[in-house]
Amino acid sequence: MRMRTPWLAAAGAIALLAVAACTPGGDDGDDEGSGELVWAIGGAEAQPGGVHQSVVELWNQQNPDTPVRIEVLPDAADQQREQQALQLDAGESTFDILGMDVIWTGEYSENGWLESLEDVRAEIEAASLPGPFESATWGGTLWAAPYNTNAGFLYYRTDLVDTPPTTWDELCTTAADIAEQEGIGGFIGQGAQYEGFVVNWLEYYWGAGGELFNEDQTQVIFDVDLAVQATEFMAEAMDTCYAPGFNTAQEEEARNEFQSGNTVFMRNWPYVYSIINEDSGSPANGNFDIAPLPTFTGQGTISALGGFNLAVSAFSDNKEAAKEFVVWAATNPEPQAMLATEGSVPPTMASVYEDLASDPVMALLGQILPDAKPRPPSPSWNEISVEMQQALFPAVNGDADPRAAAEQVRAFLESTLE
Amino acid sequence: MADTTVAPEPDTRSNLDGDGRGGPRRFRNGLSEKSLARIFVTPAILLMALVALFPVIYAFIQSLYLYRRRTQIGFGGFDNYVEALTDDRFWGAIRFTFIFTVISVFFEFVIGMGFALLMNQAFRGRGVTRASILVPWVIPTVIAAQMWFFMFNVTPGFINEVFGLGDFNWLGQRGWATFAIIVADVWKTAPFVALLLLAGLQTIPNEVYESGKVDGAGMFSRFWFITFPLLRPAILVALLFRTVDALRVYDLPQVMTGGAFNTESLSILVQQYVVRTPNPGYGAALSTLTFVIVLGVGIIFVRLLGRDLVIGRGEAR
Amino acid sequence: MTTAEARLLDEAARRRRARRDAARIWAKTAMLGVILFYCLFPFFWLIMTSLKLGDRALNSPNLFQGPFGLRNYQNVFEQDFGLNLRNSLAIAGMTTILCVLIGSLCAYAIARLPLKRKLLLLSAVLAVSLFPPVALVPPLYDLWRRLGLLNTWEGLYIPYTAFTLPLTIFILTTFFASIPKDLTEAATVDGATPFRAFYRIVLPLAAPGIFAAAIIIFVSAWNEFLLASTFAPRNPEVAQTVPVAIAAFTGAVEFQRPIGTITAACVVVTIPMIIVALAFQRRIVAGLTAGGVKG
Repeated sequence: MRMRTPWLAAAGAIALLAVAACTPGGDDGDDEGSGELVWAIGGAEAQPGGVHQSVVELWNQQNPDTPVRIEVLPDAADQQREQQALQLDAGESTFDILGMDVIWTGEYSENGWLESLEDVRAEIEAASLPGPFESATWGGTLWAAPYNTNAGFLYYRTDLVDTPPTTWDELCTTAADIAEQEGIGGFIGQGAQYEGFVVNWLEYYWGAGGELFNEDQTQVIFDVDLAVQATEFMAEAMDTCYAPGFNTAQEEEARNEFQSGNTVFMRNWPYVYSIINEDSGSPANGNFDIAPLPTFTGQGTISALGGFNLAVSAFSDNKEAAKEFVVWAATNPEPQAMLATEGSVPPTMASVYEDLASDPVMALLGQILPDAKPRPPSPSWNEISVEMQQALFPAVNGDADPRAAAEQVRAFLESTLE
Repeated sequence: MADTTVAPEPDTRSNLDGDGRGGPRRFRNGLSEKSLARIFVTPAILLMALVALFPVIYAFIQSLYLYRRRTQIGFGGFDNYVEALTDDRFWGAIRFTFIFTVISVFFEFVIGMGFALLMNQAFRGRGVTRASILVPWVIPTVIAAQMWFFMFNVTPGFINEVFGLGDFNWLGQRGWATFAIIVADVWKTAPFVALLLLAGLQTIPNEVYESGKVDGAGMFSRFWFITFPLLRPAILVALLFRTVDALRVYDLPQVMTGGAFNTESLSILVQQYVVRTPNPGYGAALSTLTFVIVLGVGIIFVRLLGRDLVIGRGEAR
Repeated sequence: MTTAEARLLDEAARRRRARRDAARIWAKTAMLGVILFYCLFPFFWLIMTSLKLGDRALNSPNLFQGPFGLRNYQNVFEQDFGLNLRNSLAIAGMTTILCVLIGSLCAYAIARLPLKRKLLLLSAVLAVSLFPPVALVPPLYDLWRRLGLLNTWEGLYIPYTAFTLPLTIFILTTFFASIPKDLTEAATVDGATPFRAFYRIVLPLAAPGIFAAAIIIFVSAWNEFLLASTFAPRNPEVAQTVPVAIAAFTGAVEFQRPIGTITAACVVVTIPMIIVALAFQRRIVAGLTAGGVKG
């Protein structure tokens, strides 16, 4: 039979694989009893060579008894949250320290996944900026220590614009004029339907004077008129001053447009600054500067906060040591300064900004962070964000009525407090 | 077996023991065909039941309870189903999912059939051609989705560059966003259809073609009257699995549009309530609804397949 | 169609064919060109992008904008990618073998052996693979955790086998059903047991179907992301697979998308896949000449 050889081969392969099919031994991440703390955090800075690793090295030098090891999570925040949630939902002690996006605080605390940090509250509150601190509290309790933060900048082309605009209307007119002269796009930000869209929309809405909840998050003070104003502004800007592709752009698409010289203005995080400065072939290289984001009135500035807080898992086998690390990372100038000097993630400690005021990015951050606002760290933030995307994104794109959309958001916000 | 001439329809005279009433035939080792059948089926059924049945039952039970985020707050009967069925988002997802499925499966079938016929021919450079045809399919879907996002999106805009379309916003408007997702899916999975049909073509004996040629049938009529009917089982299997997969599409719309511009699929909706904004009860209800819809479509195919294939022609059951 | 008509048609066709021979070759070449472009352009983009260095080159719509270099490939292999390849190979390989073994038995029983309620059985088999995958994750994760199957190869190839079995069974059932019954019957009359008839006669004849199924199983197991990213999310030394490793790549700084490294990794995993698929695919077509249906 001609098929005999393949059969023998198949049998051989099966035999081989049967032997090999057992998973190779290795460190499966379980470290019970070793005293080692596992810090679950993702993103570029968690990789070898990243600043989180340097922070860990520094800690391990000073605290050889309770060394910390980073468990690198995936790049996307959604997947980081899912991996943490799978462990925590099962009550696993795998992770001791959790790197949490600032919007997860309420959800994690409601699920009973976090250890309260109330006993070290004073220490942390004294060192941290108010916005990041607020993002680490929910229901009056401190659940996490601020670690790194982020705020939106207005990037503009100095060869095309003399002084950065201070109102959104001025920005839009200027952008449209120059865009037409130069044959490029006007303004780009994060306009795709995702969390970044909500961040951008909130910056308009907050810039118009709006709020979502009152201070202790017990009452909805969402202003439908201001929401309509923000939404209508964006809807009109789609036709006038937003660059093509605004409504599919996330951070990287926006950076790419600005870096390639295709737009006059851009809203983005601070990470873009050094990238363009290092790209000598970019038309924007040497021809751009950063400014605070405009508002509708021209008064002050507003920005939505990003960043990560560090929390202690309620299932950790070594909560005291984990808490020490978290407090140290939030309040010690050494690791906090490292974030600014070695990394791409701005620190949360107010004093670091004073020390590094000669750096333009740090100087601007020091100027805008005191006014920056966190998205409410409510347990239902994910639901709120999805609802805002569902309602406001079509309205901004001309597929829905702005007022109906704003009413829908208000109704939903109220339903989350019931 | 060298000189066996096979009839064009191998199944016409062979529906002897399809329904198990052929009477037990015993062999030297005492194993009847019936018990052999049971032994053959058992491992597959056992494994599938173990791994796949449990989550389905689990989800169905879960779907009967009400949750507030992750916390169970009581028994709700079919409340979650009622909520889903009265939600416009659910019907929007159904609409997109079906549009996507019908159009993409149709083009995948047409293109896949063309590929299969091409791969089945002997010509110079067929090795390269066969390899090329398979390339799209071996690229991981998550990466292919990102790639097509890059191709279609205004920035950087490869497709606009290649076709000189300026700043056409494929992914940023209704209709064209769906179009782009369908193009990506057809590109990615037409080779899957091609592979199944190519294998199916091998079951058609050469003699059938030869006799067709002798009869003077042209290429088209040979295809239509000989290839097509004999290929029917392979076609149905390919269509079946493409359809049920397309009905559960997730990666492409998620990566390319995030569900914006009426491109939210059923699976994106399910993912939202299972992972992004967890509500286990509602998520399970959505999953079960999706499951029922997909299974309904699947069973239509199974009936088509079964009637003239597994049981034998003319023996409807 | 009568024979006379057919003969006339045939002759007319022959004359036309002679005249248009050259044109046909050109048309065929052009058609092949279009097909190759359609299939390969995105892959070409992948290769070009993987060779580009620097942000702006990577994000430029111009495929030929440099600078070029191999740094992206170096980055890929600095990250234990070899181990990921090993895991993927083992898991996809095991899935393929298990699926073909278990699936061909089941398919043969459905196609050829006396079983009751075959349609119902087929429907049930199909139903197994139809639940939205993302909804399978929470219950299976819980079960796997209790069974200690997280972060193991078994934890992945067992569910992969279960969820790919339906496709395998359907493909193979159609193949077994298309094999002339008199062949097996002749064998059993000669005194062969049904099992012997199955593996000596039916299996070899169904080789095209088996190899087609094998490629499909292998590729889907190789590319699976959802279960792999939940059941073995991190450690490449244990069971992290290739797609999960690729999703874990990051840029040099926060937010930066590592498109260069991703495309390089994708090229690295695609080339062996093409070779595997080609080898298997040859067997699909070779089955035609090796099998018994040839005159």
